[in-house]
Amino acid sequence: MAESSESGAVVRVQNVTKEYELGGTVTALDDVTLELPESSYTAVMGPSGSGKSTLLNLIGALDTPTSGNVTVDSRNISTLSESERAQLRGTQLGFIFQTFNLMTRLTALENATLPLVFAEWDRTQRQTRAQDLLEGVGLGDRIHHLPRELSGGQRQRVAIARALATDPTLILADEPTGNVDTETGNEIMELLAETNKRGNTILLVTHERRIAERADRIIHMTDGTITRVEETEATA
Amino acid sequence: MKLRDGLRMATRSLTGHRLRSALTVVGIVIGIATVIIFASFGTSVQTDVVSEFESTSASEIFVVTGDVGIGDDGGFFAGSLDSFALPAVTTYDIDQLRNIDGVESVLPRGSVDITAVSYSGQTLVLDSLTATTPAAFTEEDIVSGSAFKSGVSGEVVLSESAVERFDANVTVGDTITVNREDGSETVTVVGIATQARGGFGSFGDFSPTVYVPTDPYYQESGPTATSANQGVDQPAYRQVTLVAQPDEVSDTRKRVETYLNESSDATQVLGDVGITVQSTADLVDGIESVLTDIIRLVTGIGVLALFVGAFGIANIMLVSVTERTKEIGIMKANGARNREVMLLFLTEAVLLGLAGAVVGVPLGLAVGFGASLYAEVGFTVPYIWIAIASAMGLVTGIISGLYPAWRAARVDPIDALRYE
Ligand SMILES: Nc1ncnc2c1ncn2[C@@H]1O[C@H](COP(=O)(O)OP(=O)(O)OP(=O)(O)O)[C@@H](O)[C@H]1O
Ligand SMILES: [Mg+2]
Repeated sequence: MAESSESGAVVRVQNVTKEYELGGTVTALDDVTLELPESSYTAVMGPSGSGKSTLLNLIGALDTPTSGNVTVDSRNISTLSESERAQLRGTQLGFIFQTFNLMTRLTALENATLPLVFAEWDRTQRQTRAQDLLEGVGLGDRIHHLPRELSGGQRQRVAIARALATDPTLILADEPTGNVDTETGNEIMELLAETNKRGNTILLVTHERRIAERADRIIHMTDGTITRVEETEATA
Repeated sequence: MKLRDGLRMATRSLTGHRLRSALTVVGIVIGIATVIIFASFGTSVQTDVVSEFESTSASEIFVVTGDVGIGDDGGFFAGSLDSFALPAVTTYDIDQLRNIDGVESVLPRGSVDITAVSYSGQTLVLDSLTATTPAAFTEEDIVSGSAFKSGVSGEVVLSESAVERFDANVTVGDTITVNREDGSETVTVVGIATQARGGFGSFGDFSPTVYVPTDPYYQESGPTATSANQGVDQPAYRQVTLVAQPDEVSDTRKRVETYLNESSDATQVLGDVGITVQSTADLVDGIESVLTDIIRLVTGIGVLALFVGAFGIANIMLVSVTERTKEIGIMKANGARNREVMLLFLTEAVLLGLAGAVVGVPLGLAVGFGASLYAEVGFTVPYIWIAIASAMGLVTGIISGLYPAWRAARVDPIDALRYE
């Protein structure tokens, strides 16, 4: 089916529509088509309710489309079983959320190892891996702290370390700077840029133009459709 | 997810809410401990009673006139013998029984009405003397002195319980006064015994008893019945105990039954009313089955308590699923499959159930042991019930955890991640 992979796209979204039935029908995505080339860095912008998170959740195999195809790593998520989608999330995808979404009772180190636990890594191996990553995001001295003992920026860095744990093909970041101050936001964007340079494909949702401009291109959405694709200066 | 990691994560969640987990476990502990307490105490009493029975009255065959059973209707222990048994086993029958193959001795037992006995100025109300034969006293039964002689008047044996009733110390050789409605008689205590064979139950004679020889006491003043075989009235007994040769109890019992039902004076006297012949083995079986029923019933109450504990686990697990919706979403985003989420929550519930067993079994054994000490019965460890109770802890955990775990597995990750 995904025979047209001349360019080695990591994600292919083809004529995807997503509807929610809540009394009436809400069309969150309306015939969206999009490709994320390997090692690309894409930002999605748009007003609240335009369908940005919905798009991210579909690509993240957390949900399936009402119609159309979402292909991640040349696998159509609609045809995958629940368990296969879970495995895809655990090994090929890394999530970063606005609200960090860390396990409150686990330490920074344990949070960073979480995907490795479900990927059945050995305990010592995964701890070494997580420790390296935490050091990489500048939290080498905080690995045994609980999330509540960390600042917002530090928590988001733990989340980044966790997203990178399995060295996923694709990183999905839904407003990662939404809950931190400008300076911390810049540090986080720095980390994402480094990650992208190492080869991970990134899809980033943001409200801020300033943040979006870090990406190679910006996809503008309104009312569930892509209205404009903008190549940024970063591309040059 | 590896099993070991699952266990580790489940344990973390439980220890993260120490008080709540502990309180949930308490429910299970109470249930399991109750089961073990009743089972261990019940089994101990059963073992004790049965072994006492077997050691004191092995190879005895009881003959009682009238239809009495043990076990089903429980009539055996209900009321005194006089109220349901008729004097029907004649002296002729007793001689015949003595000649049956396998019978070592015949111990007739009867009661002689009196009003009281007195010693050293103290009067003890007692409504009857117990008439029996010297053979009813074995060496172990006699505490001091000896048995009386048959055919001799004025000699009695006191049970230990009777001796204890008198404030003054009664010893062998002392005289006591027996009061009847029509006068009184001074008799000599020739022996003191714990019990006499041939009584029912044979747990020792708990109530104060004064034993006299059937000849002359019962033969002179006891009831009589017509001997169909000899054509005259003879003293007749309600109850006779036979001692059989130990290796021939069952066959002897059959021969005794045949004689009594077919050619005895007793069967003529009794007519439609039957005669009951039971060996100790029958009685032990009966008592065992009664006690087993009681243990089951009472243990069932413990199982009910366990049910309550199960609802406690289910309740806490459901609360936990709601509280941890976001955690579930995080786990799913990081690769957890529904099956793994389900297993994680199930493991928590099972650990709670097992913790209940780990604490409840020793606690139950300790209390059961204490109760046995208090009741002065030997303690028997109820191995089967320990296994059952532990399994119940496990099963309780699984059953009460299934629905909450299923709910957890079904949590939609998108909703969960949005959950604040
Ligand atoms: N689970 C759901 N059930 C019903 N409607 C939903 C659901 N999730 C999203 N929607 C609707 O779909 C539309 C798109 O929502 P989405 O969350 O994708 O917007 P967004 O662009 O991420 O907005 P924001 O910038 O506020 O995060 C909205 O109208 C929303 O109400
Ligand atoms: Mg959104």
